Amino acid sequence: MKKVLELTKVFLKTSFSNMNSQMGIKTKNKIGIVALYIFLIVYLGGLIGIFSYNIIELLKTINQESIFIGLILLITIGFTLFQSIFSSINVLYFTKDSEYILPLPLKPSEIILSRTIVILVMEYFVEAMISLIPLILYGVLTGMGVMYYITMAIALILIPILPVVLISTIVMIVMSFSKLVRNKNKFQIVATIIVLIFSVAFGMLISSTNGEVTDEQMMQMIMQANSMVNLIDGYFPTLSTLITALTSTSVFEVIVAILETIGISVIALIIYLFIAEKIYLKGLVGNLFSGNSKKSKVDLNKNNFNNSKLYKSYVGKEFKILLRNPIFLMQCFIPAILIPILMIGIVALNFRGIPAEEFQEVTSLIPNNTIVVVSVILGIVQFFYMFSYISITAISRDGENAVFMKYVPVSLYKQYIYKIIPNFIMNIFTVIVTLAILQFILKMPIITLLIVFVISMIMNAFQSILMLVIDLKKPKLNWDSEYAVVKQNMNLMYPMLLSMVNIGILVLITIITNSLNVYIGSGIILVVYGLLTYFVNRYLYKNQVKLADNII
Amino acid sequence: MIEIKNVSKSYVKNKKSIDSLNLEIKDGEIFGFLGPNGAGKTTTIRMITGILNADEGDILIDGNSITTNPLEAKKSIGFVPDSPDMFLRLKGIEYLNFMADVYDVPVEKRKAKIEELTKKFEIYDDLNSQIQSYSHGMRQKIVICGALLSEPKNWILDEPMTGLDPKSSFDLKEMMKEHAKSGKTVFFSTHVLEVAEKLCDRVGIVNKGKLVFVGTLAQMKEKFKDNGSLEELFLEITEE
Repeated sequence: MKKVLELTKVFLKTSFSNMNSQMGIKTKNKIGIVALYIFLIVYLGGLIGIFSYNIIELLKTINQESIFIGLILLITIGFTLFQSIFSSINVLYFTKDSEYILPLPLKPSEIILSRTIVILVMEYFVEAMISLIPLILYGVLTGMGVMYYITMAIALILIPILPVVLISTIVMIVMSFSKLVRNKNKFQIVATIIVLIFSVAFGMLISSTNGEVTDEQMMQMIMQANSMVNLIDGYFPTLSTLITALTSTSVFEVIVAILETIGISVIALIIYLFIAEKIYLKGLVGNLFSGNSKKSKVDLNKNNFNNSKLYKSYVGKEFKILLRNPIFLMQCFIPAILIPILMIGIVALNFRGIPAEEFQEVTSLIPNNTIVVVSVILGIVQFFYMFSYISITAISRDGENAVFMKYVPVSLYKQYIYKIIPNFIMNIFTVIVTLAILQFILKMPIITLLIVFVISMIMNAFQSILMLVIDLKKPKLNWDSEYAVVKQNMNLMYPMLLSMVNIGILVLITIITNSLNVYIGSGIILVVYGLLTYFVNRYLYKNQVKLADNII
Repeated sequence: MIEIKNVSKSYVKNKKSIDSLNLEIKDGEIFGFLGPNGAGKTTTIRMITGILNADEGDILIDGNSITTNPLEAKKSIGFVPDSPDMFLRLKGIEYLNFMADVYDVPVEKRKAKIEELTKKFEIYDDLNSQIQSYSHGMRQKIVICGALLSEPKNWILDEPMTGLDPKSSFDLKEMMKEHAKSGKTVFFSTHVLEVAEKLCDRVGIVNKGKLVFVGTLAQMKEKFKDNGSLEELFLEITEE
């Protein structure tokens, strides 16, 4: 166990040591930077708090406040599952230090346990961000006693264990085939996609066993206080026990529920370590050493010597690097398409019980072409832009190789624009997917879609350029694994922050122009973001050389 | 031709990493840049290639200032950095095509040049594989090929022999000689004194940011009146 702790310490230190320097904590503007981070935390915490407060108060009026606990736990488990797909693959198989760890006299179970603890620590951060404030607020608003807070702390520790163990097991099983595959590069990408499909299928399988609820049952539940929470307790093995632990008033029930959760988690962990002992190292070695893979012998014909326009060649290079690197593919590329489908899909699935005519009736009540509708859809698009990481990592992804930009005879501004284009294109996909799904569900007028599309594109340009500027100002160039760029990178909170601010601006403009014509409101949004885009682009152009100072 | 005029650079206040450096590398010359670790070799090379800005002074490449006219200056530079781990997810051929597009090399010329260079370095058969599957030496070779594709007038190489096998090292040295013979410039840094001795027309020795010697090896021996080996001379100069 001592070795496991030592190893975990080393892994954690290498994972998080770079973040401090990137956060600028050692720099001159210490107070300013700390103040900025405090502001960000308070801002985000405040938003989550206000949101939670309103929901809890609303649920209290219909005596169903306990469903809030179920929802928060469900969201947390969902996020943990989704996050651990990426973090397990990366931490277990793609970190570069594996090459140095393998020759050391360590048991596979010791390595895997340390690695799993690292994944869990990462999940705890995510979990704290999502669920800490809502759960505390719930306790305060519903007047819970000390036992609730103790149970809450235990629950927060237990929540991520099962999702991480489950996903890591799937990852290990898939990766154990790497030994059989010759082309490791392609396999890494295929394996990641297989794990993703498996996990989504697994999630759907669990939720489909939950069964449908009839109208009568629903009515009964609404009538009976705090019984709607039963609607969601079947989605995940530890979810129902955790819900009981946090909502029950009987001490005995709470203790039994906690013990049950611990029991399920421990059994899963033991099975996981048993499987890991058998297959982890095989997969790791197979994945690490790809030297023997057969090289495709070159047969260079004229087609291999393409003379492309520089912009085509440069943007093509960016896309190739994004697509061929499994970590960048999963973090920067796939979310742009997958997240809108998943999110809107989940919402749509919840409507499946409602008869078509009733649904039509409800949707027909939504006024068609108004500034509120335009703003709400723009807000949804902004929410999805949060996960758009291509621009914010455009420089950092190149690592130490980023200096290339500075010694080639191409203007820095041009290269910045080439690096922004993939972000812009992927955001177009996000917008199209979102609009297509919304159109399918809500059947909106074409003019509304058109207005949203045009404004989204301007906001897209603004986000893409601004995020590149931030990456240029604080690039993360010294990393030991690509994973550090897309996860242990403080800059990644800026897309989220920008989207939050944008949603705020949209709400403000909507309130001001609500009584006016939709075209006037949309025009104002367009002008505001057009100007912002112009100024940020001008800043990038004027400071192109100075901004590259941090690339060394 | 590379002219370094009174260039200084500091990373921290009151400590100059490069202190008033003056150097002129003429056309047709192979110039070796020597010095112990941390002496300022890489910093100098980074300033010549435009990666770093000098705090004082200027650097001219064929008469073009790297500060005020960077694009023209960079066009005539072929640079090989010290780490060859570049664009690992691109295939060898993709990397070379990309470099050819960046330096505007026409199709016919690039085809001939890629074949010539990669066959010479024996990596032609590996061009269809991703660079990450290459060994360190092969990566070094592909980066060198990329830098030489556009036939730049000035070659600037940071520790180019590191990781090369004896044959490739020999080939590269021969190429450097040919390049200089055709009236062009080669500027490279190295730790290997024998390479400098056999290859360079002149050497510059930098120590703690200052140029402590510049001239031919014969001049060096003359100046320090020493009959010892080059290694002993180097130690004597840099330990002063």
